[in-house]
This record gives sequence, structure tokens and C-alpha cells, in this order.
Amino acid sequence: MRVQPFEGAPKVDDSPHQFRQIVERHQARVYSIAFRITGDCGVAEEVAQDVFLELHRNLRRLESEHHVAAWLRRVACHRATDALRRRAARADSIAEEYQDGMALRPAAREFIPLMNRVEQLLLTLPPAQRSVMLLRYQEDLEPEDIALELAMPLATVRSHLQRAIKMLREKAQRTLKEYSRG
Amino acid sequence: MVEPMDQLSENFDSDLREQLRPRSAPLGFADRVMARVAADRAPRPVRFPFGRPLWRWAAVAALVAVTVLGGLEHDRQQRIAGQQAREQVLLALRITGLTLRQVQQKVDAQEKPLSDKENQSR
Repeated sequence: MRVQPFEGAPKVDDSPHQFRQIVERHQARVYSIAFRITGDCGVAEEVAQDVFLELHRNLRRLESEHHVAAWLRRVACHRATDALRRRAARADSIAEEYQDGMALRPAAREFIPLMNRVEQLLLTLPPAQRSVMLLRYQEDLEPEDIALELAMPLATVRSHLQRAIKMLREKAQRTLKEYSRG
Repeated sequence: MVEPMDQLSENFDSDLREQLRPRSAPLGFADRVMARVAADRAPRPVRFPFGRPLWRWAAVAALVAVTVLGGLEHDRQQRIAGQQAREQVLLALRITGLTLRQVQQKVDAQEKPLSDKENQSR
């Protein structure tokens, strides 16, 4: 799905009624990005609320629903990654946990029953790869659009996608073997 | 919610799409966002130095102005009263000087014939 800018479209209405409709239309997308990057329901809700509050403050600058959706995706990825970094700074380095295949942070482990297998595997990826994977598979964006939205070189996006898919596939197969062995 | 891994390995790409479909936001999420937006929209009380609101600063400023203006007015009235007193003193002195001069002239006029008589008698 390529993001096409609206030419000459009216600016987005920021009245409470219209804004509520925007929230209801995009809440699942924003919350899912935040949840799948942070791996924590509480943090995800906080991040998602902050993103919508920030959207409300910036709504007059956005020209169309397409811009709103793109803006929400981009800011949700950034804010969720920031929240993750803040938590990682408080706890021990999260990088050590990445090295250990399926190891998740204790906070994320508590919410495993709420997450499906792919979401759990996704949490083992570095945050930049998580963002790229979410925009590709949750938001169904092409790599070119992901590069635009995350202000990332296209080659980097492709590289993140390849590495993330390879890593997820390996982890999935490893888990499958463990699952089969019982 | 946990999918069998064999399905995942068969068609990885479509499984990723399937399992990464947007999940629902928590119940009441939009209400909570709107509540925060409303709170964000509400005008915040203006912060003043030392945490005092504007009317208190206005009252203090008025009090200072009244005190200063009152002091200036008091000074002006004192100065006018002083000036009037000075003028009255000068007037009194002038009157006194004039009177003394008249008295002196009378005394001189009376003393002059006496001295003439004394000279004639010598």
C-alpha cells in the first residue's frame, strides 16, 4: 500500500467529534505498534495515548487522512522505541537478552499469554527491525514507503527485513523442534 | 491465541501477515484519549513568579503606587506650607523693619531740636 499525498485536500478538522473519529479509526494500528514494540500492555497504552495527544497538537499541520495515518505510524514507532530505550536504560542492558534466542524481558514474559507466537518472536528482534517488520506486515507497506516513513535508507530497510525474517524463521524452526520433541 | 509452529513454518510470509494484524485497542481507549485531549485543551492558570496570581500583583502594585503618590503629595503640601510660612515671616520682618524705621525717624526728629538747644546754650 503506497502512501499517496492528497493534493489540495482540506486540512484535517480538529473538532472533538472529528478527532474522536480519528482516534477510533486508528487506535488499533497505533496500539498494536506500541504493544508489539514494547511488549507491555500498560506501556503500549501510555505510548498510544501520548501519540494521539501529540497528534491533536499537530493536527492543523496535517493535510489529509493519509498524512494522519503516516504520521501516526511514524510517531508510534519512534515513541514506542523511545519508551523501550527508557526502560532498557533503567533495567540491565536489553542487548544481552537479544543474544539469548527466546529470552524476553521479565515484564514481557508476564504478558506472553496475551501475545501470539509471532508477537513473542518479534520481541526478540532489535527495535529497529521490529518497527520495519511491523510496518511491512502489520501495516502492509512497501519497503519504499517504510524507508520514507522512518526516514531510513531503502537499503537499510531491505536489510532489516531480510535479517529479521531470517532470524524469525530460524527461531520459529528451533521452537518447532523443541515443541515436537515435547 | 498461540498458533502451532508448523503452520508458521509452511507459509511464513502469510503467517506473519495473519498474526500481525492490528489488535484491538483496550476497551475505553478512545474515551481516555479524549479525556486527556480535553484536559490538554483546558486553559491552564497563568503561572506568576512566586506562584502568586495576577490580581495579587496588581493589588501590591496599587498599594505601592498609592504609597508613593501619597508621599509625594504630602511632600508637596509640606513644601507649600513651608513657603507660606517663609513668606509670612518675611512679611512680618518687613513690617517690623518698616515700623522700626518709622520709630527711629520719630526718635531722631525729637532728638534733633534738643541737641540744637544744647548747642545754643553753650
